[in-house]
Amino acid sequence: MATVAAPAAVARRVPPAPRRRKPRDWPGVGLWIALAVSALIWATPFVFMFLTSVKSKADVSQLPTWNLPTVWEWGNYADAVDTGNLWVTGGNSLMISVIKVPLGLLLSAAAAFALGRLRFRRHKLVLALFAVGSMVPIQIGLGPLFNTMYSLNLLDSRWGLILPYLAFGIPYQIFMLYGFFRAIPDELEESARIDGASTFRIFWQICLPLARPALAALFILDFVATWNEYAMATTLLQSQANWTIPLAVQSFNTQHATDYGALNAFIIMSAVPVLIVYLMFQRYFVQGAFAGAVKG
Amino acid sequence: MTTTTPPVARRDARRADPPRPRAKRSPFVRALPYLVPAGLLYGYFLVYPMIDAVRLSFYDWSGFRTEPQVWVGLRNYVRAFTADPVFWTAFKNSLIWVVLSLAIPMMLSLLLALGLNRKLLGRNLFRSVFYLPAVFASITVAAMWRWIYNPTLGAVNQGLKAIGLESWTHQWLGDPKIALYSVFVAAIWQSVGFNMVLFLAGLQQVPVELVEAARIDGAHGLQIFRNVTLPALRPTFVVVVILTIINSLKVFDLVVGMTGGGPAQSTQVLALWSWTQSFQNHTFGQGSAVATVLLIISLALVVPYLAWALRGEDH
Repeated sequence: MATVAAPAAVARRVPPAPRRRKPRDWPGVGLWIALAVSALIWATPFVFMFLTSVKSKADVSQLPTWNLPTVWEWGNYADAVDTGNLWVTGGNSLMISVIKVPLGLLLSAAAAFALGRLRFRRHKLVLALFAVGSMVPIQIGLGPLFNTMYSLNLLDSRWGLILPYLAFGIPYQIFMLYGFFRAIPDELEESARIDGASTFRIFWQICLPLARPALAALFILDFVATWNEYAMATTLLQSQANWTIPLAVQSFNTQHATDYGALNAFIIMSAVPVLIVYLMFQRYFVQGAFAGAVKG
Repeated sequence: MTTTTPPVARRDARRADPPRPRAKRSPFVRALPYLVPAGLLYGYFLVYPMIDAVRLSFYDWSGFRTEPQVWVGLRNYVRAFTADPVFWTAFKNSLIWVVLSLAIPMMLSLLLALGLNRKLLGRNLFRSVFYLPAVFASITVAAMWRWIYNPTLGAVNQGLKAIGLESWTHQWLGDPKIALYSVFVAAIWQSVGFNMVLFLAGLQQVPVELVEAARIDGAHGLQIFRNVTLPALRPTFVVVVILTIINSLKVFDLVVGMTGGGPAQSTQVLALWSWTQSFQNHTFGQGSAVATVLLIISLALVVPYLAWALRGEDH
């Protein structure tokens, strides 16, 4: 990071005067317009979502989607909390994510440390065996996983769900963190070892702190993935008391109709925790996991 | 330590006990405590179910504990390939999905990344707008788009009516001919942002000096892109292509949420068909056979990629 900061500081001191007086950058203007139009298109569904979330049922069925509501029906949000059972489903999702994400990152970091720093023979084969798991569709194992959870008596259990969630998050994280740990200079580890540091201290006090940007980026990705996971949850959770947020979406479809106002209100509220996490760790985002990912 | 051990003895020691003569325990034993927790979870909850899916594909089983699993050999595969038209629909749709994903959203995200890599007014706002759909759960995106596609109240048909194109209105999700593509539009909207971030990360690694040098030599924009940027983006491309293919094969939530595979199974995809066979039709054997096909396709793509990625890491 220090290397990134230095040139920026230098650049700031250079007087910006001479290059300014170029002819207008028409391709740049065209590009900006194209981007702005695309961004508008991309934002439109969100605008519709918000507008629908504050419309009464009458407005939803009578006004075009893009019209402002005649009455701002904020009550939809209260309805959404009831229909989607937000405190219960949100609580379940939060509990699962708050336990699963840090624990999974820790386990992955430990394994990636073993693979990247404690070079034993065939560590690459073990890494490959892990990495394969990050790239096969999870639906392949869902049927047998159902049986496994049944025989462990963990079917329809929020706690039980954490275990396969951990298993399905680990491979990708190991693959990403491995690259980070590999990049740590050997001298750092050797000098620590000469000072008498144990393997655990090297892991905990040297390697983990150095991987902080990658861990932060993986934290966002994993939190988003866990919070939004649907396929496994819908297979393994049955009673409504155990439902997570993505399962609650189906509560809004009754036999006869969908309550679109409340549904859209629920969708907006359900994304709030993810947005908070995203904003918190945002600055690590591009530089973190993806820098590692892209080096391959 | 080198002075105390005679060379011959050291060579012997090394042969017996791999890299470091001084280590009391082998590196593998030291690595074990760090590997075991992740390895156990991974093995038991991911690898074992997948292997078990392959085993079950040779059995006939309803999925109920009380009923027996009956060995039927390859019959589930024969059925899927010859007597199950939905399997081929799902296969074809998965293939279409992969090809379209490589063609449209990937190119869009590359263009966006190239555009947003320059200094621009409102660059961060643009980036956030394109990325935002990626943080929403696919199942909620599906619900949202079902509303947009709603035949009478939805924004698409209402918009077409408002600009006088009433004849263009459709049952976007109800017409077997176009339903898959309607779902795909939602997928484009959701997936562009993530690949854009990957490409942006890749663009950070294009050497600035090379771009400057090319510019000084008089190369214009397109030449610089072809000869400097594109080669430097190659590793990123490989990652994005692999992730795009894998994510296309995984598509599940969006289809479940928007059409449930219908109308008339016209939007069925392999991942969903496997799940439907196992959990709704209670034919675990059939479902596992479809899953095994999916597994083989995935491995055929992933193993060469991993071999490439891990070999490249040595340089």
